[in-house]
Amino acid sequence: MTATATDTATHPSPDRATPAHPTPYRITPARVLRSEWHKLWTLRSTWITLLTACVLVLTVGITMGSTYDGDDADIDTVVFVLFGTQLSLICFAVLGILVTAGEYATGMIRASLTAVPRRLPVLWSKAAVFTAVAFTLCLVTNVVTFLVAQIWLSGSDKELSLTDDGVLGALAGSAVGITLMSLIALGLGALLRSVPGGIGAFIGSVLILPEVLTTLPLDAVDTATRYFPAQAASSLGSIEHVKDAVSPGTGLFVLALWAAAVLGAAALRLRRSDV
Amino acid sequence: MIRAHGLTKRYGGKRPKTAVDDLTFEVRPGTVTGFLGPNGAGKSTTMRMLLGLDAPTSGRCTVGGRAYDRHSAPLTEVGALLEARSIHPGRSAYHHLLALAHTHGIPRARVRHVLEAAGLTEVAGRRVKGFSLGMGQRLGIATALLGDPGTLILDEPVNGLDPEGVLWIRNLLKAQAAEGRTVLVSSHLMSEMALTAEHLIIVGRGRLLADTTVERFVRDSGTRSVKVVSPAAARLAELIAGPAVTITSDTPGTLDVQGADAEHIGRTAAAHAIPLFELTPQAASLEQAFMDLTHDSVEYATPLEGAAA
Repeated sequence: MTATATDTATHPSPDRATPAHPTPYRITPARVLRSEWHKLWTLRSTWITLLTACVLVLTVGITMGSTYDGDDADIDTVVFVLFGTQLSLICFAVLGILVTAGEYATGMIRASLTAVPRRLPVLWSKAAVFTAVAFTLCLVTNVVTFLVAQIWLSGSDKELSLTDDGVLGALAGSAVGITLMSLIALGLGALLRSVPGGIGAFIGSVLILPEVLTTLPLDAVDTATRYFPAQAASSLGSIEHVKDAVSPGTGLFVLALWAAAVLGAAALRLRRSDV
Repeated sequence: MIRAHGLTKRYGGKRPKTAVDDLTFEVRPGTVTGFLGPNGAGKSTTMRMLLGLDAPTSGRCTVGGRAYDRHSAPLTEVGALLEARSIHPGRSAYHHLLALAHTHGIPRARVRHVLEAAGLTEVAGRRVKGFSLGMGQRLGIATALLGDPGTLILDEPVNGLDPEGVLWIRNLLKAQAAEGRTVLVSSHLMSEMALTAEHLIIVGRGRLLADTTVERFVRDSGTRSVKVVSPAAARLAELIAGPAVTITSDTPGTLDVQGADAEHIGRTAAAHAIPLFELTPQAASLEQAFMDLTHDSVEYATPLEGAAA
């Protein structure tokens, strides 16, 4: 009697005319995020660029702190100890470009978009994973570098503690600045679909162009360049208000707008173009 | 089931190049369908359109009843191997598969299973950078099998494989089709398709040239001839000559007769007491039939067409 019941219940259909999938498998946003997280950490280049970035900031910070002799008294303390972020920014930007353009260079993008043919979740997940990783790492590195540099700076006019006014805000602001700038790089990589192209565009338009423009003797241009990404970011990582820069609030807003614009353009291209 | 209707793809702005031209076909489950054509015939472009990687200029295509990007679990619907490598060389085979598996929530056990099926367990932890062409191809197949899909779309899967690998693919494709899956496999080699496929879709210059079975393709391809060796070849040639008969001779005493069958030639010879040393019907080879069919559409053998010229 039970045999009959079992029989009908477990009887496998002998010919799988169309292979039936009682499918627990399905694309979800969380799963795409997990996939991108996995992709990021399973490449050596990720570890190398991130480690280099952190070591650069820390080493430069220690060098600045240990060699301080009171000469640069007018420089903001956080800006002073985080001088290495100028260099680490390049590392984070390159990683951002590798995350997107690297997939085009290797052809991996075809596998990624075959797995997630609606496409946009891939870009958003890449951006989200990268933002989380870059921000966390920048913030931790900034705080550690600040504390380590203070070992030498205590007793000088640059002695400050984390709890002093504006210090945490500036350390976090610097991390936000680097994260959003390298998110722009990630977007440029997705937009241009080329690693050298992305790096060239980032260095050329984000880092060099505004410097060139400020040499022009025009006030309007001078004002306009304050709203460029690198200049807007500079307002974030300082305790004191930076001369010739917008306010931190405006800076954050403008920088976020830049990142959103570049990512938006990248999303448009991703939706429209063949791969 | 794969369906393409009026599928067309043009590239370029001012002087557009038509890669795929009004292609309509169906690929049914349960058999291996060969997608055949010379290089540049539009096979890869068609496959990319089936997978939603390229958008058609016009026309539609569906896989499993809907456009590929409308599936909620595409990897379980279609497994694909594309001709161009689609793997990051810096990642290991295992992590490549796992990263793709994560998008669908496919478990690690399945990843290990397809690695084993592709014979890659030993090298699963190694970076793909060091893989040979054949190993890369095997990883591509493993990727295609990852979601245990009902449809397989494979672009030139035997490329770069050693004889053992070729045999493995051949058996794998047949087994997959026997389980009721839809299998579309492209190749520019007729000989390989003759061994693997039952159904053929032949394209040239982006156009559909034939949609037939391998068997019918051989039968219909027509140009059969009969080889005749006789000491009185010249006289025999006169006797069997007719308006529908073409006789050529490469060497003295040997005839190549088209338009008359072996029976007719044999009877004619017997009636006139002409001795025959050999009377052999020559079936046109598949390769020859394929070349005849695609001759006019081979990319590099014909002068450039173009309205401006």
